[in-house]
Amino acid sequence: MTEQLDKRADTTRLQILRAASRQFARKSYSLVSLDDILADAEVTKGAMYFHFRSKYALASAIIEYRAAVARASVDQLLARKLSGLETMIDISFFIALEDMGDETARAGLNLLASIGRTDGLQADILGQWVTAFAAIAGKAVKDGDIISDRDPEGIGSLLVSMYLGLRQTSNVAEPDRFLRDLEKMWALVLPGFVKHDRIDYLNQFIKRRTAVALKNAAPF
Amino acid sequence: MVRQARSEATRRKIITSAVELFNEIGYPATGLGDIIERAQMTKGALYYHFDSKESLATAIIEEGTAHLVRAFRSITDSSAPALESIIHGVFVVTDLQSTDQIARSGTQLLRAFGEFNEAAARTYGGWLAEMTERTRQAIDEGDLRGELDPQAVGETILGSMLGAELLANATSAGADVLQRVTRMWKVLLPAIVSRESLAYFDEFLARESLRHSPASLAE
Repeated sequence: MTEQLDKRADTTRLQILRAASRQFARKSYSLVSLDDILADAEVTKGAMYFHFRSKYALASAIIEYRAAVARASVDQLLARKLSGLETMIDISFFIALEDMGDETARAGLNLLASIGRTDGLQADILGQWVTAFAAIAGKAVKDGDIISDRDPEGIGSLLVSMYLGLRQTSNVAEPDRFLRDLEKMWALVLPGFVKHDRIDYLNQFIKRRTAVALKNAAPF
Repeated sequence: MVRQARSEATRRKIITSAVELFNEIGYPATGLGDIIERAQMTKGALYYHFDSKESLATAIIEEGTAHLVRAFRSITDSSAPALESIIHGVFVVTDLQSTDQIARSGTQLLRAFGEFNEAAARTYGGWLAEMTERTRQAIDEGDLRGELDPQAVGETILGSMLGAELLANATSAGADVLQRVTRMWKVLLPAIVSRESLAYFDEFLARESLRHSPASLAE
């Protein structure tokens, strides 16, 4: 019995999260009202307050939910056992595709930038990203792709900054432009830490991944 | 529930013991008595799960194959271009054949039973279908030449992969299987890859082979 109740509560919670994601993916945090979300989710105010005390609590939940989903996807990419650098490139294109095509992904990244500064959520989640990328960069040093005296932590932090910056300067709602910009950025940063004789191959790899992503991009 | 779990544990123990023995002294030399002794089971417990040595072999073939196919699919179920996935997948499967005991034993039994075991026929059929499908995709993506017959290419890749493993086992107890797989791709790629993609795949293969070299695996 309780299991069933839990399940129903979970469904409602997810329903609210999805509706809120649709709103936050399209409008900035301050422009979204709880009434919009209620109308979209088709739940009562009571049900909403049972799960989320405030708009802020709801937004934080989206950020956290999305971070967990992204972590699982990264684990899957790691399980493919490609080289470290190829894995980093694959992750960046994967995140770009999600950001372009998935409302929760877009909402999560939007919210991370707008409300994440308070109570350390941003530092926490971005810190996890940097650490994850740093670990993979460490592998790329072992693979012989990254110049051995480069600092993996610094590379991790550069790549995270690069992606978040790209969301501001390019347009994630325009897949063609966004993916081309991502491709260009990779080509620009590679010589900063990749061994000279590996660059041609990796540029080809990035070009091929851009082509696949352009084909698969499905904006919502 | 408890009973079911216990029964599953028994079955597992029998399979593990059989795999150990098959890998140590070979299938023909292993008697059911040896398996019972190794597993510290009664004859009844073994017969409850398997009615013959062959049905035990079939279970190992099925499980070993499932490990390998799962590993291959986890590589090919991605947005990566199909030919990259095929090459990488073959390396990952080859690696697994030397590290995963059940997969190793399953492959060897598969070979021994190939002609008259239904599980074996199913296994090869499944592999071939998967390989053909990915080949077709790689032709669509322009990495493989357009005039190729996907089924023929799929068969050639699968045959070469299985053959490399067989030769390595026969001549070096499996030690040089990765070099053999690298050589197989070196010969195969110029024959099937489109002109525009060939340079890229030469490099792709060199990197793959380097990552799977004994020196890099030892780290």
